[in-house]
Amino acid sequence: MSGRLALNGFVALVVAFVVLPIIAIVPAAFSAQSYIRLPPETWSLRWWDAFFRDASWRQTLLTSLQVATLTTLVSVVFGTAAAMGIARCTARGQAILTGLFLGPVVTPAIVLAVALYSVARATGLVSTVTGLVAAHTMLALPFVVLNVGVSLSALDRRLPMAAEGLGADDFHVFRTVTLPLILPGVIGGAVFAFVTSFDEVVLSIFLAGPTVKTLPVRIWEEIRVEYTPVVAVGATVMLALALVAAATSRRAGRRNRA
Amino acid sequence: MSDVRFAGISKAYGEVRALHPLDLDIRPGEFLTLLGPSGSGKTTLLNICAGYLAPSGGRLLVGGRDVTRLPPRQRNMGMVFQNYALFPHMTVAENVAYGLKVRRLPKREIARRLDEALHMTRLDGYGGRAIRELSGGQQQRVALARAIVIQPDILLMDEPLGALDRQLRKDVQLEIRRMHAARPRTTIYVTHDQEEALVMSDRIAVMRAGRIVQVGTSVELYEHPVDTFIARFVGESNLLSGTVASIANGRAALVVDRLTVPLEGRAAEGLRAGGQASALLRPETVRAQAGGLEARIVERVYLGELVAVRLALAGGHELWSRRLAGEWVGGDTVEIGWDADAVSILPSASFED
Repeated sequence: MSGRLALNGFVALVVAFVVLPIIAIVPAAFSAQSYIRLPPETWSLRWWDAFFRDASWRQTLLTSLQVATLTTLVSVVFGTAAAMGIARCTARGQAILTGLFLGPVVTPAIVLAVALYSVARATGLVSTVTGLVAAHTMLALPFVVLNVGVSLSALDRRLPMAAEGLGADDFHVFRTVTLPLILPGVIGGAVFAFVTSFDEVVLSIFLAGPTVKTLPVRIWEEIRVEYTPVVAVGATVMLALALVAAATSRRAGRRNRA
Repeated sequence: MSDVRFAGISKAYGEVRALHPLDLDIRPGEFLTLLGPSGSGKTTLLNICAGYLAPSGGRLLVGGRDVTRLPPRQRNMGMVFQNYALFPHMTVAENVAYGLKVRRLPKREIARRLDEALHMTRLDGYGGRAIRELSGGQQQRVALARAIVIQPDILLMDEPLGALDRQLRKDVQLEIRRMHAARPRTTIYVTHDQEEALVMSDRIAVMRAGRIVQVGTSVELYEHPVDTFIARFVGESNLLSGTVASIANGRAALVVDRLTVPLEGRAAEGLRAGGQASALLRPETVRAQAGGLEARIVERVYLGELVAVRLALAGGHELWSRRLAGEWVGGDTVEIGWDADAVSILPSASFED
């Protein structure tokens, strides 16, 4: 009995430790004061007003959405193609290629950032959407390759064979048979890619500039100057989008089982 | 309807020979079965025919046209896969119409041929169903409908009944047979089930270890097997091995150890005086015969109208007999015999395992 109590207490502590800091930022965004105190003494939407009235905050949010969307598109197209290529290799080839694609995930972000910064400077990609998308795609691609790879390994290989035998060319087979059946993996990969880009900070700090800046970078810069609830609004916006993404991937997962 | 000609077709994976160079001609409208144990190369040969595998050597001719290098989509063949490979995200109608839509036929033509195929496979009214709602037998019929609706030059079937239970399998065998009789279509059918092969085929090619051992009708394979492998694989058999004492006029005599009289029978090709061989006695030919060999009844198995009896001969050899139930009545000791014409003297299979 006491053991059960101790276990429940432990679980509660873990949940509190993991979840509370995340949730704590939300009330702070609805504070009427000009400093962050929990819980807020009085409530208002003034900081939301301030956030969306400020053209520079709006611009960073739009840039973030733009970069994340483009990153998602690019990594889904290339990641799906890569996963299909890998699935056709021998077991040894699959191991090597999967390892290569996972490289950017296991490399420390700061190492990647320094390396990419020198390349981006040499090619004029600093402070451009293109540069950010290229960098984020490196990080997002592995998630697409892995997610699509899992779906592909569950795909009965005779299904595309059957379609081909019935007269369909490669693209038609992909569009009508392969893609619909691996779609849950593609959507899962897309969600991961979007989130990865949307909350990426380290590479973005190096590659962002005065003209092109993402939301997390702006939050980081703001917080070094003053710690106002506008920052909490920015963070809450990010949290909301992450939850939407998670819900999307769950729905995709359910479709997969159906 | 087209004829199919495998000319020196072979397949090797590195050092491993999956198929030795082989020749096989299939006539237009013929139902040919590739019969063999697993690993004999029958599915490899079927996949080469469909274009899913490239042969290492040889040519494949369909209706006189060399299709060896053509991709599957240009071969116009209908394939029924083992476990069917139906598209799980499509309805029955979408599965069956897939090959028609790919061919960009007019909508009305697609609808007409779809209805016809569903009707022929007794799936009327099932068009809107999802694949997972169907029983195994219904899925099998969808796979068949999807393959024949495109009016293929060749119909290929890879163990299409393997997943069905025994009774259903027998029904579907006869149904496919009737469909084939009503509308003959060159068909290559792969199975490891000899009974299935005997029921369905115009001709059977028995395969073993990457070679075709014998091609013939059911009757030819049963009555004139070329060696002991075929004898064992097609039908029930008693085989007694011994040494060939003499060969003359298409007949041979075989001396079997511990058997007082030599066994005489029809000589198969490839026998050699003094060489090793086996005598084949089908169980239905071994009968009670006054004044014949003495034997003891060791076991009786009741099979309905027939009874199978295991007989021990004096030298320790055993034979199975399968006759009408009334024949083996009475005591445990009997005298048995057979017609010399019903005995075949066969060379042992060259690569027996």
